[in-house]
Amino acid sequence: MPDEKTLTIDVRWLPPPEPFERIMQALQTLPANSTLQVLIHREPLPLYEALRGSGYAWQATALGDDSFEIRVSRAP
Amino acid sequence: MKLASLSTDQAPPISIPLRFFAVAPLFLILAALMLAMSEGNPFADIHSPALLAATHCITLGFMAMIMFGAIQQLLPVMIGSTMPAPRLVAWLPFLLLTIGTLLLAFGFMLSKAELLNLAWPLLGTALLIFIGASLTSLARAAAQNVTKNAMLLSMLALIGAIALGALLTRGYAAGLALDYPRLAASHISLALGGWVMLLIIGVSYQVVPMFQITPPYPKWLTTALTPAIFAVLLLNLSVILLEPASRWPGFIAESLFWLLSGCFAVMTLKLQNQRRRRVADATLSFFRLGMFSLLLAALFSLASLIPSITIPNLRLLSAISFLLGFAMSLIQGMLYKIIPFLVWFHLFRGGIKAVKVGIPNVKEVIPERWMWRHLWLHGCTLLAALLAPWWDVAVWLAALGLSLQGALLGYAVFTGILVYRRTQKRIEQLPA
Repeated sequence: MPDEKTLTIDVRWLPPPEPFERIMQALQTLPANSTLQVLIHREPLPLYEALRGSGYAWQATALGDDSFEIRVSRAP
Repeated sequence: MKLASLSTDQAPPISIPLRFFAVAPLFLILAALMLAMSEGNPFADIHSPALLAATHCITLGFMAMIMFGAIQQLLPVMIGSTMPAPRLVAWLPFLLLTIGTLLLAFGFMLSKAELLNLAWPLLGTALLIFIGASLTSLARAAAQNVTKNAMLLSMLALIGAIALGALLTRGYAAGLALDYPRLAASHISLALGGWVMLLIIGVSYQVVPMFQITPPYPKWLTTALTPAIFAVLLLNLSVILLEPASRWPGFIAESLFWLLSGCFAVMTLKLQNQRRRRVADATLSFFRLGMFSLLLAALFSLASLIPSITIPNLRLLSAISFLLGFAMSLIQGMLYKIIPFLVWFHLFRGGIKAVKVGIPNVKEVIPERWMWRHLWLHGCTLLAALLAPWWDVAVWLAALGLSLQGALLGYAVFTGILVYRRTQKRIEQLPA
């Protein structure tokens, strides 16, 4: 169960750049001290590039079915 | 293609591909004019001046033009290797191809030898500069992938097609006694079966799984298909040129080509059926129409090989299905994906300022309802062209359809340019 401070978006099997667009939109409205949980069908390497140096930290976990869970939050 | 390799530093400016994409639709309108201006039904004779002119407006003015623009964007992004002399490659082949195609089309249409004599050196130079730059870029790339190999084979086939095309044009203009039917058959085989087919397959290996979210093409297919098609084309070429006494070698070579091409179409349709998120998508439907048209082209050509089948115009119908139905559907479908993506991608280069201004959503760049209208129009144009050898009114309908398609695609490209310029201006006006 995600806790109250976790917002989840499922961008699996959306064509590029829709996953990226939706993640960036969600990040803009993400309250402080919250985490964005992203479910995506491939490892979003360009997202890491965009997040690098922008004040966000992320953690990627490979799920069994080739998809990934990415948890993004403001860097401490 | 892994998006990880989408390097904003290596991608050329958006003006480069869009320049080619903006001019290409005009050649569809010109092709329509050539058909409409014809004396009599141009489809009644496969070598009629209007049909020759219209075909080359489509293959050179439209298809090669888009290939020039797309490859300059694709190569750096896909295999991480830039084009040598990017400014020269962006301008010189563009100008030479535009002028050369106009001269060739009017040369055929008006039977003017002087125009044809000017056309072939310009077109040859344009294509050879472009191929030289592409091959250099492919050779520089460290990455080994199936698309790179397909592109390489496609370029080799194109060199052969250009050499034969130049010889045919020169001979036709000067009234030389050449073996035109055999040379023309070799030219068409290398141009359509080699250049167009292999390039489309190579690009589909990337575009279909990535943009249509299908499983990847199986490895056995990506490894073997394009080399097998290339080998069959060489076999077919030797059959055409050596003319063996038995008809079996030609029958086998051509049947194998269509079986391999059909295998690609069936596999693509199968992968598209395995999409996880099944939403209606106009660009996907363009692809599906293209694949069914490829199967139709195979059917017409295979039927023409069976002596007991005496339906006239089967070869012409196969060529129409291949060029208008298969190649044009796929190219237009890809353009409707590529243009919004390029606009979005290049605006995103504006970094944090671009995010603040708000980059338009990729679906907002070209309204999807226009893509659907275009798809229906394209389907009707194809149907009219397939009926044209028997029904004169259909020639007009096909010409009208082609010109409207040119107008619609031109509208789409200019919408993309407008959205890009408007947003870019807002990004530049934002204080740092």
